[in-house]
Amino acid sequence: MNKIRDSLQQSFAWLSALITIVACFSIIVFLFLKGYKAISFEFLTTNPNPTFQAQEAGGILSPMAGTFLITIIGILIALPWAIATAIYLSEYAKKNLITSYLKIAIDVLSGVPTIVIAIFGVALFTMPAFGFLSSMIEGIEGANKAFGKSFFVCSMGMAVMVLPYVIKTCEEAVKAVPVSYREASLALGASKRSTITKVVLPSAKRGIITAVILGMGRIIGDTAIVWLLLGGSIRMTGPQPWWHFANWLDTLKNTGSTLTTYIFFNSPAGEGNKAELAFGASIVLIIIIILLNTVADFIGSRGAVKEE
Amino acid sequence: MEKLLIDSAAKHVNVNKNKKGFKISPLFDSLWEFMIFLLAAMGALLIIMIFLFILLKSWKIFSASGLQIITTTGFEEQIRQAYNAPADLPVWKFGMLSLIVGTITTTLGALIVAVPAGVGTAVIICEMSSGWLKRFLESSTRLLAAIPSVIYGLVGLMLVVPFISGNLLTVEMQMKYLEYFQLTGNSMLAGIIILSFMIVPMVIALSVDAINAVPKEYREASLALGITKWRTITLVVIPAAKSGILAGVILAAGRGIGEAIALSMVSGASAVLPSLSHGFVFLFTPVLPLASAIVNKSQAISIPSIEAALFACGVILLVMCSFLSICTKIIESVVRRRQGLE
Repeated sequence: MNKIRDSLQQSFAWLSALITIVACFSIIVFLFLKGYKAISFEFLTTNPNPTFQAQEAGGILSPMAGTFLITIIGILIALPWAIATAIYLSEYAKKNLITSYLKIAIDVLSGVPTIVIAIFGVALFTMPAFGFLSSMIEGIEGANKAFGKSFFVCSMGMAVMVLPYVIKTCEEAVKAVPVSYREASLALGASKRSTITKVVLPSAKRGIITAVILGMGRIIGDTAIVWLLLGGSIRMTGPQPWWHFANWLDTLKNTGSTLTTYIFFNSPAGEGNKAELAFGASIVLIIIIILLNTVADFIGSRGAVKEE
Repeated sequence: MEKLLIDSAAKHVNVNKNKKGFKISPLFDSLWEFMIFLLAAMGALLIIMIFLFILLKSWKIFSASGLQIITTTGFEEQIRQAYNAPADLPVWKFGMLSLIVGTITTTLGALIVAVPAGVGTAVIICEMSSGWLKRFLESSTRLLAAIPSVIYGLVGLMLVVPFISGNLLTVEMQMKYLEYFQLTGNSMLAGIIILSFMIVPMVIALSVDAINAVPKEYREASLALGITKWRTITLVVIPAAKSGILAGVILAAGRGIGEAIALSMVSGASAVLPSLSHGFVFLFTPVLPLASAIVNKSQAISIPSIEAALFACGVILLVMCSFLSICTKIIESVVRRRQGLE
């Protein structure tokens, strides 16, 4: 009787492992089967058009650029912030109430849903004081409000979203640097700042790079923040051509789309309702994410070999 | 003490300015330290800021609705009224019971599916497989975790929803429940299926950590007593890893509660209160979880009362998720203390 139960449990465990693998691959195969027709050179190099004609719908150049912009700006904001917090936690923080509060605050922040961060961004960046990051609403009487949707605003929301993850990974990396390194540097007469910037951070480089890649992956995959802080338009709304060097500030202060909102917009749930294009963009998105994962794995495994 | 000595020694040498070494300027050093404190403090204040801003924006809703916000239904109708209300007579009363129930049912349903499957897979990864199979399982778990929610939503909408509406729903059922809600494939069941695939990698990852943290001696002692490998796993390893697995489950629940995009795509997007009296049609009820409500109604956010209502959804979400995070923290510290004592 017990034997039967054991083998039932065992087959359940194997079955669930099997389902995990099958789900993973069937999602990817499904996306490829549905979307490979959409992918062409033209699809990757033209701007999208909001139209109902499938032939004129264009490609995903500006969504890809949008994803790129948001990811780079977001990580550029989050990384120094995260490194500073990680350094504070591992090098300066004493064991007291403030430190334990900071740790709890970061933990709670990592559990905050992205949609809540998105509406926090809406609340914050529609304040007129932050109008310089997007644009002011004009033409409505009595409305003293900022538009609150732009690449800048969205990147800041993303920075807040990834901050706790990047802090945690950076902190682990910094804590993994042996104490003897620090002692050697201090004994040579270096100040605490030089010790941290010239010894601790370079030694923690690999961990910090991993943190950056993980953060980038999260930013690329997020939709909720983009939907509320960058808006539902699929084109770049700044002055055209958006890629022109003279327009860079206006482009960043205006709205656009990323791959994720492009998928959402073109799925049957959105307004575009061209599922094939959504599948095509999904393939591109998945490929980017698999590449990032592979790079992270590669860096991690090289680190492991070196430590041995 | 040792640290202090080193510090003072360092200072002493700095005054003498060794030629080869680092250029020292105390002013720049303290400025740098100040920047670090400032950024860390900003990070610490962020969560309070989020809470305050969202609460302030939705204060009118809470003061007008009071407790009714979590005890009454009718969100859909109230949004419509608020949308059509004249600007000088805005609607501030909202009842979000159906949204809260929708959130809880989808998340609980997903947990019921994902926790056994996740723990089972974690057992296979940690104890029953090795070599390429283990690596393969680990990397497909990681990939499953990395797939963006919008892609889950798209797959759900194109694969799961048509399957439900084609195979599980009949015309008679649709006729019968027409007075309550429209039965399309977009339903709680579709939401549960998609959500369970989204949270299963999380359960797996944290269960793997918990199982790996169980000391080897436990297994050896059990095996030495002549207990089979599988019994050792079910009777010794999993009970020892229980708290860690529980922490993972709570984290996964937080993720499920906060999931917005994928659920707004597949779960029906209409705030119906699911009722158990409908029998198994309960599972096919279209629901609107809190997070999805924000995405779904965001087109009408220019109207102040709807904006406030969506912020109120955010407050409820934030309270639920913060509570779960703090629970995880407590469990983790309990686990650590127990390990410290042993």
